Amino acid sequence: MSATIKVQNLNQYYGKKQALRDVNLTITTGMFGLLGRNGAGKTTLMKVLATLLPKSEGAVSVCGRNVEHARNVRKIVGYLPQEFSMYPNMTVYEAMDYLGVLSGLRKSQRKQRIPKLLQRVNLQDDSRKKVKELSGGMKRRLGIAQAILHNPKVLIVDEPTAGLDPEERVRFRNLLCEIAEERIVILSTHIVGDIEATCEHIAVLDEGEIIYHGTVSELLHMAEGKVYSAEISKKELELLKKNHIVTSMLTLGNNVMARFLAEEPPFASAKPCEAGVEDAYMYLMQAERGKGACSDNYL
Amino acid sequence: MFGQLFVKECRQTAKSLIYWLAVLVLILNFFSQLGGLEIMPEPKKGQEEYGFHYSKDKEVIMEATLGALLEEYYRGNYAAYPIGFYKNVTLSGEETARMEKIIKEATGLDGREEIEKAVDDWYEGQKPDKVQAVMAKNLLCKPAEGLSYDRFAELMDQVDDILGGGSNYGEGYREKNASVPMTYEEAMEEYETLIGKDKLSGGYARLFADYMVIFLGIIPVFLAVTRVLRDRRAQITELIYTRKGSSFVIIGSRFLAMLVMLLVPVLALSVIPLTQCVKYGNAVGVPVDLFAFVKYSFGWLTPTIMTALAVGMFLTELTDTAIAVLAQGVWWFVSVFSSISDLKGGMYGWNLAPRHNTELNWTGYQNGFSQLAANRAFYVILALILTALTVFIYSQKRKGRLQRRGKILADRKNKFKA
Repeated sequence: MSATIKVQNLNQYYGKKQALRDVNLTITTGMFGLLGRNGAGKTTLMKVLATLLPKSEGAVSVCGRNVEHARNVRKIVGYLPQEFSMYPNMTVYEAMDYLGVLSGLRKSQRKQRIPKLLQRVNLQDDSRKKVKELSGGMKRRLGIAQAILHNPKVLIVDEPTAGLDPEERVRFRNLLCEIAEERIVILSTHIVGDIEATCEHIAVLDEGEIIYHGTVSELLHMAEGKVYSAEISKKELELLKKNHIVTSMLTLGNNVMARFLAEEPPFASAKPCEAGVEDAYMYLMQAERGKGACSDNYL
Repeated sequence: MFGQLFVKECRQTAKSLIYWLAVLVLILNFFSQLGGLEIMPEPKKGQEEYGFHYSKDKEVIMEATLGALLEEYYRGNYAAYPIGFYKNVTLSGEETARMEKIIKEATGLDGREEIEKAVDDWYEGQKPDKVQAVMAKNLLCKPAEGLSYDRFAELMDQVDDILGGGSNYGEGYREKNASVPMTYEEAMEEYETLIGKDKLSGGYARLFADYMVIFLGIIPVFLAVTRVLRDRRAQITELIYTRKGSSFVIIGSRFLAMLVMLLVPVLALSVIPLTQCVKYGNAVGVPVDLFAFVKYSFGWLTPTIMTALAVGMFLTELTDTAIAVLAQGVWWFVSVFSSISDLKGGMYGWNLAPRHNTELNWTGYQNGFSQLAANRAFYVILALILTALTVFIYSQKRKGRLQRRGKILADRKNKFKA
């Protein structure tokens, strides 16, 4: 059985509204990032893969199993929804045990796996704590533990770091990377930093369409020579914003250190910079909107 | 998987507040109705009274029923229970004329004046001991010369029609007007039936079932609704939807767990009257059926619990709302109140909560047994069908269909969360 997810010509409709347009993707073992704005179609695609939505058109297979045969797919897929929660009065262990039963694990398997997984997500000392007493980060870690409880070949994680503090976010990303060594992990997010830190292969969705599918380095390559920085006055910043995509700003007294996208250096003091994923993503999105990264009427 | 999930669901039920409230209601109901239960002693000759029963003597039924009719005519209003609720019926001029015509044929009393005089004469002529002769309806009236029971029945059916149904004169109800004191021999016959045919505990198990079935027709729906909505409240529906477990296993284990957990307090409470029966049986040296309460709990009460649970699960899964409480509440109300006029058993009909509010009337139970068995089988089948439909709805929702909260089949409309 191939450890590959294949999505071919997937179209997804909600009534007359089209949520996904002719999506084609091949995903193999390791971390795979699905990037896009809110409303781009990420959750819809994730739900189709997790058998939570019936596909409208096209073909989708998960490790050789057609998503139309939901039960077969569910055996090999772990899912962490955007809003992970559990029965609040259950303890961490009880929650894992309950979901383990629903995943068809025998008692002996659960006894063996649950403590190991709780240790892996650093919740071993909290197994008797009630779910309602867990912090956001702890809940997310419990979410990951439950999602891999039945040792799935595919793990689907939807917006996992939303609402986490920076420390928890880093810990969570690292955990996902570890898990991805032995399976496909699909990470859906609109936070570019999560992708940058974890994924080598990504797809960018915009208005239901895949506008990029490839490696992070290829994406960075697209933005090479298009990222500049310059120290400018606050007045100049307004003009810069009108004509260019400003990806970051740092206030320095009365001036601002601006990082922006441009096809060519727009003025003499603009210095070329190494492109980051966020720059490349913004460049891609802007290009997709049919507008160049810079216009000619500056200065 | 089913067994393990069943155990986990039982634990979940045991941890829910609504379950313990349900248990509390059952306990309070039991002790308020059966707390002071005393096992019926053997009747002794010369006792002041031996209880009452409905007479089967057609003359007595006619006299008591016609007496009741005259009394209500005299008062100018009639009691009726069209769907189990009390209704005060006042007749129009035309209806009164029709009623007078019927009374004339049934009793020979012609017109208001004669009827009122007959009623006045009856009460004036009564002495206390005579008043006790017929308890339910004090007034007795001799039928007209040559009136056959069949014609009497036809006339009373007409009266029932005029009153809109559910009156004291309709078929199955007019016999209840003739509640008469039992003789020693009749009381002995009932006692011997209770001891012999019912092995004592059978009669008390029916009485126990009668009281318990009232609340078991409504309580389970609360448990079912909260169980289904708990997933949504805890926001774990998607988490469960994506698990390997089949919809049948998930819904089936929940249903069975709630059923078993509701039967536990019922069976536990039944130990109290059973113990009383056993003690009495030992004291007087008669055998007692030790499994009578178990049999009645399963045969009489379980179908009602199953139905209320299934209605709760089905409507909640279908609508994602608590509307099942309202639906079951209305059904329960109608069921309980429509049986008020016939509590002594024997006429079980298709009532969700069949009543038999006496440890006696074994004959009535036997006569109505096939009707009762059909009733109980119907509710078991209905519950299983509703549960199967719940499984179907659940499986559709797992695939992203029928999913929009509170709006059935609305997932095609304006649901765009991408």
